[in-house]
Amino acid sequence: MAFEKKIREHSQLKEKALSMGGTKKLDQRKQQGILNARERIDYLLDPGSFEESGLFTRSVLPEAQDETPTDGKIAGFGKIEKRQVGIIANDFTVKGASSTALNAKKMGHIKQVATTRGFPMVYLGESSGARMPDIMGARGMAFSLEHNLYLRKRETPWANAILGNAFGSSAWYACMSDFNVIRKGSCMAVSSARLVSLATRGEVNPEDLGGWKLHSEITGLADLVADTDEQALDAIKRFLSYMPSNHMEAPPRAAVPKGSDEPVKDILDLIPPERTRVYDVKKVILKIVDIDSLFELKARFGMTVVTALARIDGKTVGIVANNPLYKGGAIDADACDKVCSFIVLCDSFNIPMVFFVDQPGFLIGIEAERKKITGKIINWMNAMALATMPKIVVQFRKNYGQAWLNMGGGKNADEFAAWWLAETSFMDPSSAVGVVFGVNREAEPARYEELLDKMVQDTSAHESASVYGIKQVIDPSETRDYLKNMLDIHDLRITRGVGQHLMRSWPTTF
Amino acid sequence: MSIVEVKADVTGAVWKILVKVGDHVSEGDDLAILESMKMEIPVMAPSDGTVKEILAKEGDVRNEGETVIFLEV
Repeated sequence: MAFEKKIREHSQLKEKALSMGGTKKLDQRKQQGILNARERIDYLLDPGSFEESGLFTRSVLPEAQDETPTDGKIAGFGKIEKRQVGIIANDFTVKGASSTALNAKKMGHIKQVATTRGFPMVYLGESSGARMPDIMGARGMAFSLEHNLYLRKRETPWANAILGNAFGSSAWYACMSDFNVIRKGSCMAVSSARLVSLATRGEVNPEDLGGWKLHSEITGLADLVADTDEQALDAIKRFLSYMPSNHMEAPPRAAVPKGSDEPVKDILDLIPPERTRVYDVKKVILKIVDIDSLFELKARFGMTVVTALARIDGKTVGIVANNPLYKGGAIDADACDKVCSFIVLCDSFNIPMVFFVDQPGFLIGIEAERKKITGKIINWMNAMALATMPKIVVQFRKNYGQAWLNMGGGKNADEFAAWWLAETSFMDPSSAVGVVFGVNREAEPARYEELLDKMVQDTSAHESASVYGIKQVIDPSETRDYLKNMLDIHDLRITRGVGQHLMRSWPTTF
Repeated sequence: MSIVEVKADVTGAVWKILVKVGDHVSEGDDLAILESMKMEIPVMAPSDGTVKEILAKEGDVRNEGETVIFLEV
């Protein structure tokens, strides 16, 4: 047979290139119940769709060439539910998937193709940081980092999973991505607990340094927590199903599950008759959106507001909803960051936004000010003004103070309706008397009552509607129909559903 | 067995204590109600557990972040 030697050689080299870190390391992972890089790719992508790029790359150092198949990062293209994506799967079994100039070059190519041809990127993060000794010294730094470009203009959605130790590169991509899911047992940080201990001479627990609880509850750098690799990969698939392939497309439209119009009819059962009592707004949202379509982001962070992707009549929407269950719905600093980040996401990828309002104002106090809440409030306001995607508001109950603007009041939204239950004002009248006149009810009851009379104004929905402050008063059971109609009316027909993306280069972390 | 501190989410007055020492509770159960911003704000169990100690009585003011109940989990 002609070329027999060449064919055999190619086959052997291919087998070696596919071998990852070798059977011993791969078995270890299997025993821990953790998928390896190629298993993750197989699980995520449509069967047979993986088109690998750079399979034969290996370390540029001669002494390391035999032990570095793919130079530790597996890259290429494939399909997820028939849509093209670019994918980088870190191979931790090869030198901890450490970063080199070569694998950066490879990643750079996949990124560039995805960006210019208009499809999402998926990053499966698990890396130990920069490769040593390659990066040591001035020359090492110059060569290793020469081609590193971390730039985010939100041309296409980026989805990330943290699946183990994620230092350096994997942490950067996690933070730059539009969606980040962290698997329990992972640690995402600048560098490892071991290095931190060496550098600072103190013991540090990896969970405290960068575990799932830290990132889902304190930093908000994780949007979701998964128990297993498979769950994390499913979450990536689910996130992408709401998104367009690139910023010049409207999001895909899904089928509407049967019975989705029914739950809203008894929505009032969830609302307590007393205005002082609270409820969980998530349960309310579930009755409004398409069945099974609610996908919450940052559920454990800034819990006084819910930010979630969902569908109404098959269309992707971004929901921002005050949750009275936490702090009575008072909006705190973390919630401001979360909402701001969510507006940037929705607006950059042509997702119209729906706001559900029931809030007694911003959460004031020293703690809030120490977290620079005033700055965060303005970030959010700025984002509302810059968003060119439709913003539709339904006010359920309270709407007080400055937050009235943040939640879509005035010029900040395109449509604003309220339930007949709604009440709107700047401040509770009894507080207003205290603040403006310094009069105390116990000390001067008569004067207090006289002044209270001045401050009490009609706060009702119909009062607001009478001056077109809100455009419609609706019954709670009409909420879904109202939103369906408004989403249709506000479809961006002239640009085929595409907004102006004025925040495409806003920060990726707030 | 570890002790979890259940803290006040907001500064407010303890309006109602809903449990007593020894009660078994599930994650999400209301343990107490604070009054703040003219609203009844629940203090919820962060996980399943047993009420170990109650650090406030009705009428006390608790600041944001102060412990109201110790839960044994």
